[in-house]
Amino acid sequence: MPFEVKMPQLGMNQDSAVIVSWLKAAGEKVAAGEAIFEVETDKATVEVEAAADGFLAGIRAPEGADVPVGDVIAMIVDREAEVGEHESAATAPDGPAEAPPTPPAPVPSPAPEPNEAEVAAPPKTVPPAIAAGRILASALAKRVASEQGIDLAALRASGVSEPIHARDLAQAPAGGHSVLSTRVEGGALAALLERSEGANRTALFAAFATSAWRAAVEDAAVSIAIRGLDGSITPYPADAGADAALSLIDLCDTRLGSFAPAGGTPALAAAREGDAFLLTLSFNEGRLPFPTAAALLDAIAARVEDPIRQLL
Amino acid sequence: MRSITLSQAVNEAIAEEMRRDETVFLIGEDVAEAGTPFKVTSGLVEEFGTGRVIDTPIAEPGFTGLAVGAAMTGARPIVDLMFGDFLFLVMDQLCNQAAKAHYMSGGKLNVPMVLRTNLGATRRSAAQHSQSLHALVAHIPGLKVAMPSSAYEAKGLMKTAIRDNNPVVIFEDKLMYQDKAPVPEEEFLIPFGEANILLEGRDVTLIGTSSMRQVCEAAAEMLARDGISAEVIDPRTIVPLDEATILESVKKTSRAIVVDEGHQNFGTTAEIAARISEKAFYHLDAPVIRMGAMDVPVPFSPALEDLTVPTPEKVAETAHRIVAGELIHAL
Repeated sequence: MPFEVKMPQLGMNQDSAVIVSWLKAAGEKVAAGEAIFEVETDKATVEVEAAADGFLAGIRAPEGADVPVGDVIAMIVDREAEVGEHESAATAPDGPAEAPPTPPAPVPSPAPEPNEAEVAAPPKTVPPAIAAGRILASALAKRVASEQGIDLAALRASGVSEPIHARDLAQAPAGGHSVLSTRVEGGALAALLERSEGANRTALFAAFATSAWRAAVEDAAVSIAIRGLDGSITPYPADAGADAALSLIDLCDTRLGSFAPAGGTPALAAAREGDAFLLTLSFNEGRLPFPTAAALLDAIAARVEDPIRQLL
Repeated sequence: MRSITLSQAVNEAIAEEMRRDETVFLIGEDVAEAGTPFKVTSGLVEEFGTGRVIDTPIAEPGFTGLAVGAAMTGARPIVDLMFGDFLFLVMDQLCNQAAKAHYMSGGKLNVPMVLRTNLGATRRSAAQHSQSLHALVAHIPGLKVAMPSSAYEAKGLMKTAIRDNNPVVIFEDKLMYQDKAPVPEEEFLIPFGEANILLEGRDVTLIGTSSMRQVCEAAAEMLARDGISAEVIDPRTIVPLDEATILESVKKTSRAIVVDEGHQNFGTTAEIAARISEKAFYHLDAPVIRMGAMDVPVPFSPALEDLTVPTPEKVAETAHRIVAGELIHAL
């Protein structure tokens, strides 16, 4: 059974050591406890003893090489005949510590050290933010803009120079909302509602919005605040937290056409227009960029038009 | 109210506490007949004798270690360290022994010791007698750090320090020993961990320790002439630090400059600025600015030395820049 000779840890904060000299040559017989090489740490030069009886083989680190602690630098094999098997892994005595890149060496790669594994791990990627193009604004300006539904991107576009500070928010146009709307054929949804007893139209809109959000915005559960005509707010799903990503108001039982509330949260309003449904999405481009908003409303409209999609 | 110098204020505080409590004694180099190079302890040996006002050889580690032991066994020593720079000599006694004895003895030992020393450059004392090293000791859990900014604070904080059952390090600014301030004749103490708002303002908070309080006050005056309203806060003790007062102020003004005479790198300014950034982030309209001493050994050349410390002009200029909303990457 070949025994691996590893660079030992000789000091508390030592992560590598220099091989001063090999006291045994490849193929030479060694006994456990016999010094086989000398290493130099930042504090001292130390002789390292063999941990097993056998023959030294496959010396991989030449004299002068700085070798990380734990790296395999040679083998001790049981029989002299095995020495040759390990010689291919050896490094030429005056060669560089690392093997030359070409030709592809038949070096059996040593088991990865924990350190190497860490280095090799792919860097963590930061998920891209919803908004593209970072806006330079102070933390206070961002917080106040968010509270007041002010679109910092629009503010920048209007000529306010960056970094944007709290006082610059006074230049924001009132409201700061963008509005998208669409008229959707309502026959299929009306039929579905008639067929299924007790079906809740508002909850159905919320379900459409949830699935459209997954398709157009991000593949994650979205919490919706359903605003009632009486001023109530109902979370959807029922166990959703207070921070809704979207608000929904169902105006179908009224004569009203659309509603674009103030605030930074995107808002969906659904109303009747004859046999059709009128869907309005009001949003703040700083929080929900236009392309995403357009895709979202289109996806919702598609589901209202053809509710079977929702089941797929 | 009468005005007295910072030296007199410290002298009074020590004398009053020595009269009140016979376990209080003073020990250090030249504290008796010479009354220290800054004449802070003059007259004390005449009143209390050489048994309680003890001159030592030039051996800081020895007399500081002696005081730590005396404090553990019932006395309340006041150690006089002639220059703050000599703290490096007593690090083991102070940081390994005094700071940890209470904790490591499971509360059986107390070290009610005061180490009074000084800080401050621009006295042409060169690199080994001009440092402001309070951040070194503030870093060590178990030590309290007081930084009086006038004669009034010097007296009130010294009396609190002497009565505290924990080791306290007091840094007096050696440039301020002759500065006078109103100090009541009747007894008073200043509790630790209570910052002092010297000036209320709405545009920027200037936090200044020790003599940097005066620098901030002067900067605030200059800023007021330009229509900028600065709030000035003196933390008075940096351990414990009155975080609440500082955060409340920054939440109001949305901008802060922290001014301290220690080196800027890894210093007191960095610690206070970091706490503001962490805990008042969403109220900040500008980066929190640190203004410490330049990161160089304090020069002996007067022309160079004066450049290394924050001045009212530099603080005011910096305040102008952040109030104007300049994009600041480096100052």
